[in-house]
Amino acid sequence: MKTAVDVQVSVFGVRHLSPGGARHLLEYLDRVRPTAVLIEGPSDATERIGDLVHPSTVPPVAVLAFTNEMPVRTALWPFAVYSPELQAMRWANKNGALCELIDLPSGAALALQDRRRRSLEERGVRREVPSAEESEADGGEPTRREAPEAPGSSAAAGAAPGAEQAAEPAGGGSTGIGSGPAGEPASPLPGGLPASDEPSAMEPEGAEELEATHASRSVYERIAELADEHDYETYWERHYEHNPNPDAYRDSILAFSAEMREMGEERERADQPEEHAYNHVREAYMRRQILKVIEAGHDPAKIVVVCGAYHAAALERPAEGAMTDAELAAMPTRSSKLTLMPYSYYRLSSLSGYGAGNHAPHYYQMMWELMDAGRLEELPRLYLSTAARTLRAAGTHRSTAEVIEAVRLAEGLASLHGGSAPTLLELRDAAQTLLGRGELSVVAEALARVDIGTDIGSLAEGVSQTPLQDDLNRELKRLKLTKYKTAVANDLSLDLRENRRVSSQEAAYLDLNRSFLFHQLELLEIPFVRSKPSSADRAIWAEDWIIQWTPEAEIRVVESTLLGETIELACAYKLREKLEACTSLAEASELIGISVRCGMTAQMEDGRRVLQGLAADSRDVAQIARAAEKLSGIVAYGDIRRADTTPLVPLLEQLFFRGSLYLCDAANCNDEAAYGMIAAMSDLNKIAQEHDEVVDVPLWTRELGELSERDDRNPKLSGFACALLLERGEMSAEQCAAEVSRRLSPGIPSDLGAGWFEGLSMRNRYALLSRMSLWVQLNDYINSLDDEEFKRALVFLRRAFSTFSAHEKTMIAETLGELWGVNTEQAAEILTGDLKEEEDKMLDELNDFDFGDF
Amino acid sequence: MAAANTTTQDTMRLPAEQLYLQEIEALKKEDKGVIPPGWQMSPRAVLTYITGGKAGKLDITPKYIGNRRLVEMAIATLVTDRALLLIGEPGTAKSWLSENLSAAVSGNSGLVVQGTAGTSEEQVRYSWNYAMLLANGPTPEALVRSPIMRAMESGSVARFEEISRCASEVQDALISILSEKTVSVPELGSETSARKGFSIIATANTRDRGVNEMSAALKRRFNIIVLPAPSDLETELSIVKKRVGEIAASYQLQASPPADEALLKVVTIFRELRSGMTLDRKEKLKSPGGVISTAEAISLLTNSMALAASFGSGEMTDADLAAGLQGAIVKDDDKDKLVWKEYLDNVMKKRGSEWRGLYQACREMNE
Repeated sequence: MKTAVDVQVSVFGVRHLSPGGARHLLEYLDRVRPTAVLIEGPSDATERIGDLVHPSTVPPVAVLAFTNEMPVRTALWPFAVYSPELQAMRWANKNGALCELIDLPSGAALALQDRRRRSLEERGVRREVPSAEESEADGGEPTRREAPEAPGSSAAAGAAPGAEQAAEPAGGGSTGIGSGPAGEPASPLPGGLPASDEPSAMEPEGAEELEATHASRSVYERIAELADEHDYETYWERHYEHNPNPDAYRDSILAFSAEMREMGEERERADQPEEHAYNHVREAYMRRQILKVIEAGHDPAKIVVVCGAYHAAALERPAEGAMTDAELAAMPTRSSKLTLMPYSYYRLSSLSGYGAGNHAPHYYQMMWELMDAGRLEELPRLYLSTAARTLRAAGTHRSTAEVIEAVRLAEGLASLHGGSAPTLLELRDAAQTLLGRGELSVVAEALARVDIGTDIGSLAEGVSQTPLQDDLNRELKRLKLTKYKTAVANDLSLDLRENRRVSSQEAAYLDLNRSFLFHQLELLEIPFVRSKPSSADRAIWAEDWIIQWTPEAEIRVVESTLLGETIELACAYKLREKLEACTSLAEASELIGISVRCGMTAQMEDGRRVLQGLAADSRDVAQIARAAEKLSGIVAYGDIRRADTTPLVPLLEQLFFRGSLYLCDAANCNDEAAYGMIAAMSDLNKIAQEHDEVVDVPLWTRELGELSERDDRNPKLSGFACALLLERGEMSAEQCAAEVSRRLSPGIPSDLGAGWFEGLSMRNRYALLSRMSLWVQLNDYINSLDDEEFKRALVFLRRAFSTFSAHEKTMIAETLGELWGVNTEQAAEILTGDLKEEEDKMLDELNDFDFGDF
Repeated sequence: MAAANTTTQDTMRLPAEQLYLQEIEALKKEDKGVIPPGWQMSPRAVLTYITGGKAGKLDITPKYIGNRRLVEMAIATLVTDRALLLIGEPGTAKSWLSENLSAAVSGNSGLVVQGTAGTSEEQVRYSWNYAMLLANGPTPEALVRSPIMRAMESGSVARFEEISRCASEVQDALISILSEKTVSVPELGSETSARKGFSIIATANTRDRGVNEMSAALKRRFNIIVLPAPSDLETELSIVKKRVGEIAASYQLQASPPADEALLKVVTIFRELRSGMTLDRKEKLKSPGGVISTAEAISLLTNSMALAASFGSGEMTDADLAAGLQGAIVKDDDKDKLVWKEYLDNVMKKRGSEWRGLYQACREMNE
């Protein structure tokens, strides 16, 4: 590069989210009228500038960079309408100036980010990656950040806070929003975390830049203290945002940047070599980019560089220490892509977990709009009356007189600090005193709404999004769901049945198609919808959902691009992956259920194959029955979802067949396993009833009969089989009587007899209760037992009867009473009377019973 | 009215404007800010007076330690002619702050209505000297002006203590005074209008809120500031230490001030019982029925000093402290006694040797 060594360009340092900065920058640009505006931000995003300034792009939006290979790393550069960078782009666009982003391309930023992380780990610096990001994200507020992340948690992060902003103008507080520039925080999204977990890092560079370690953080605190302000954020707002003097903003940031670098650079080099190196590389690259523009023929005097405050002092003379070609070639990089995504104020605000934003985006937006209209002095009035209106809407009445007094109080507070206008802190204090009558809790929600707001941005249609984002938007439009794409949670009830009152096929199944989409989103773990349980009477044909759009959902959508170009393809890929990894019958049948709910027939077929393969090797009746039960539900109700479930029928048949066949084998089990078997037998019996035309019912009854007769299986299961046969009418009263007398005959060990009875009593109780012969037999059996055997039998009988309700027990007692010649009233008297002393004693003796044999 | 004829030497307690006369004079001398009409110093100087700082070479002692923003809000309220209502738990320095604010703003903290259930509307507005009224009929000489009316005439700050203890109709007498800023005397056919600088600082106690709830109309006329209990141990420690020192000096107690260690123990016990949880937040505790405020901690320590000075060696012993603690914490006999016993055995006993002496003394006292 042959440019003169002392070439000098104009640098305008900003804080990334600063309405004052944006205002001053615009005035400066109007005065200088540059031919080229160079902005800190990933250079490969330069081609997206057109989309960012597009008239139908509504901020907040963010540039999202993501690696297009696993593991996915992402980095975010959010822009609000009052971001100086965004305003600079709009200016350049309107005035025909060249506009370029000049920071490291996103691939290099992501690669360096990885490297930094690794190097930190090697040095044994304890920082969790996530937190790092977060911190970075925060860029801004030094003060508040301390709390969450301990000091400097991530180096980067830590630094960031202050740094960026700091750098930027003052940094601290602000946020580093990524103004584009630096951003790098990548969030590691470990493969599958829900996006929400990883906030993508937004930190713009700022964060990193500044080394805001503890040391520098305390610098911010000291600045605030010297200025007699409560925190750095308030200092910043009063001294930078409210400062109307032209050039004051730019000049003080330049001076601030130079001083901060002088004070902090050495320390950073020693304490945080990774951060230092990273900043060094970035600045070298930015200088190189600036020189390139100069060589392309722009007059250096007509070039304005917009960057985070920290870098301001380093970029004025781009010829010193620009990156050489060799260095550029040696820079690590990862393959990455960029997209634009809508962003939300909630995310921008530090309330959402990472502090990379300013904490009150909606407030700053009001500030920007009033500044733009030249009526900044109205901000306190607007803020407090909006808060009062919000309060009133929520049912707390506050008069206009109180709003007026609140404005006066806020102005009084500002003048105590010598300020020209109240800062956010003072407005909040005034709102608490007047609107909340001293209590913050009264106004907290209203203030959160006014400070943060629920705005989300939107992009022009088809604007440089990933194919998956496009596809989702198309689907939302097709299914008339676009209005639900807001940051406010909405409930939506779906009726899956055909709507016969409309003419078109599309409209008739609108809700069904919505359900398909929602289930697909759920499968992809995109947190845009959450299902809510429906009440039982409509569970078959209705679904309830909660829909809420968040930036996490959008980030997650972008990540899912790696799975496929459309939602459907991505789902197919994901299902296939899951099916391949699936090892149990229950899992496989669940996946079939998912594919039916997602309306993906082809995947249902894959699932069927997998399930069939697994079933062929399984002899576990409990699992087979569970899988069969799921399939039976799908087969029975599949037509609600217009799914052709005929291919599943043979599988159901086969599962049922295997289940029946292995029933007797599996019934040879202990009492614990018998519980699972009882559930399995109930399931299979239900299938036999519901699908009697397809499954082999005679086999089922035969196997039940076999089990019922066998004496060498678990007696409880034999008894249960007997109960099922009785219920199905496959066993006559005589057969039953014979079986009972066989099972309960003297000589059969009492635990077997009573266990069998327990199984028998688990179904159709009323039929049992009304069958007098049964009780005669039970009575005879008990009479035949000697004392020792009786005590043993008592244990099982007690357990058998424990599941009976009080009413049923009374009925049994009355039945037995009749047998013994006691009439109903006498029986009732005995049952409800107190125990006699000797009865008490007998019961006590039972406490000594020896359970050793069991 | 008769403040001048008692000499300052034998007054039990000096009003703030005399106690801190030197500081106020210094602040006035160094004041460079704009002084609002009716005030004796600028708002910034008032802030310095309350929260501490420097006036020329003189150190200004902080009068209210803790939340500086609350003080700023209070001062800004007075600058905008609004009445100020300080509410909070007992012992959160409401009256102390109100006294010092009026001392700094108007140099007179003595225009006070001390609210009770028996306070009548005449004490808020005006009443008559009945002998003169009978003799001469209504004349300006027979008029007895309330402190609030006098404050209006002189353009200074009046104080209304414990406003929520007064009956609602008495409280409501303030409504028209606060909105019209005049008191009319129909008997004389005249009215008194407030001069610039007039304002009212009222205090109310949140524990009494149920007694005589203030009407919404009245509340709307106040800027309401809730004074919190000291937010952390350090703040509370420094408040207690400072006040105990000042009080001991003014009563000329012949005992050495309590050791930092004793202060720390008392404040720790108070904070833990108040919040119902140990400072490390690991254990839940029962709180006694009464209020255990910072003000109680201060009076407890001065009591213990008095005990030590009068009946002991002059050094405060664990037994002196224990007697004070017993009195402060156990108010509602049975229940509080159990709470205190539980605290002693579950918390204090396990605190190790430094607490052993105090623990033994407290246990004996609580038997």
